[in-house]
Amino acid sequence: MLNGLTQNLQRYMDLLSARQKLVASNIANADTPGYQTQDIDFQFEYQNAMGDLPPATVNVPGLKTKPDGNNVDMDRESRLLSENALRFNLASTLIKGDFKAVRSAIEEGKS
Amino acid sequence: MAAPILPVHLTAPPVIQPSAPSLPSTGGEAFQSVFADAVQKVEDFRLNAAQSVDRFLSGAGEELHDVAIKSTQADLSFDLFLQVRNKVISAYQEVMRIQV
Amino acid sequence: MSLFNSLQVSASGMSAQRTRAEMIVENMANAETTRTPEGGPYKRKDVVFATDLQTSPFSSVFQNELAEGVRVAQVVQDNRAPEMRYLPGHPDADANGYVAFPRMNPAEEMTDLLGASRGYQGNVVAIAAVKDMINHSIDILR
Repeated sequence: MLNGLTQNLQRYMDLLSARQKLVASNIANADTPGYQTQDIDFQFEYQNAMGDLPPATVNVPGLKTKPDGNNVDMDRESRLLSENALRFNLASTLIKGDFKAVRSAIEEGKS
Repeated sequence: MAAPILPVHLTAPPVIQPSAPSLPSTGGEAFQSVFADAVQKVEDFRLNAAQSVDRFLSGAGEELHDVAIKSTQADLSFDLFLQVRNKVISAYQEVMRIQV
Repeated sequence: MSLFNSLQVSASGMSAQRTRAEMIVENMANAETTRTPEGGPYKRKDVVFATDLQTSPFSSVFQNELAEGVRVAQVVQDNRAPEMRYLPGHPDADANGYVAFPRMNPAEEMTDLLGASRGYQGNVVAIAAVKDMINHSIDILR
């Protein structure tokens, strides 16, 4: 239970919530002149799970820059917002299921 | 679960046979160390959870889901341990009831 | 505390877009105002956004993840020359019969207002998504 899978899911959720925070910042700053979209390199951070280090913030390549220097793409941010929430919720449901299985085992053993 | 878990010392009783000399309780020692190990693990989980809650409440950047996961792990490991301990005790008691 | 911080960030976004909308509404309401206390016609105003590091009363000094929200850094007045219209009978007409009206394009203002509304809405949706995630986290305990 208290095993690698839960550990990985926990790390996954940590990264997703860090990413979601950046998405919220991007959305809030969608009209801020000069603001550059921020993100984390998700794959990299997930593979290199070195303890509880906060993930590094990176700029996002390939975004169109508006005349005022802002490069936030609301479509991208909306899509990420939904995707992060879905993945996060899925991970928490999986963890909950894992714990429930252990609880059942404990309950069964009581007889 | 505010108080730390106090270790429970359980050694298996030496098996007494009428004609053979009494056997050394090496089985008992090994069991005790496994048990102490388990107690330590449960205590580690509890400590982990307590620190997690602390960090969350003081605003030091602990995520809510981390608190939830660590707290649940502490609770479950304790429950599991308790169940195993109960089973071991009742097995011991059954052995003690065996008429020799 | 990432998720809670991001609620704050979205709230700052809502606040900024709302101020922007209010400014536009003020502009539009004064589109025909020829007289102001400072003299001359109404001058339309623009808001300038800037990033704003969010601190929350719940976060400690050691919090190493700061959240970037947004704030209204400046309100800028539009100092372009006013629009002159020929209305000799108007009480504010000058010697040549021209009246100074605010230089404003209603279509531009409406488009800007739509932008503010969409920006506001984006932040509302972000808050809803994050609240959902927080609830799922709490659910692990149940």
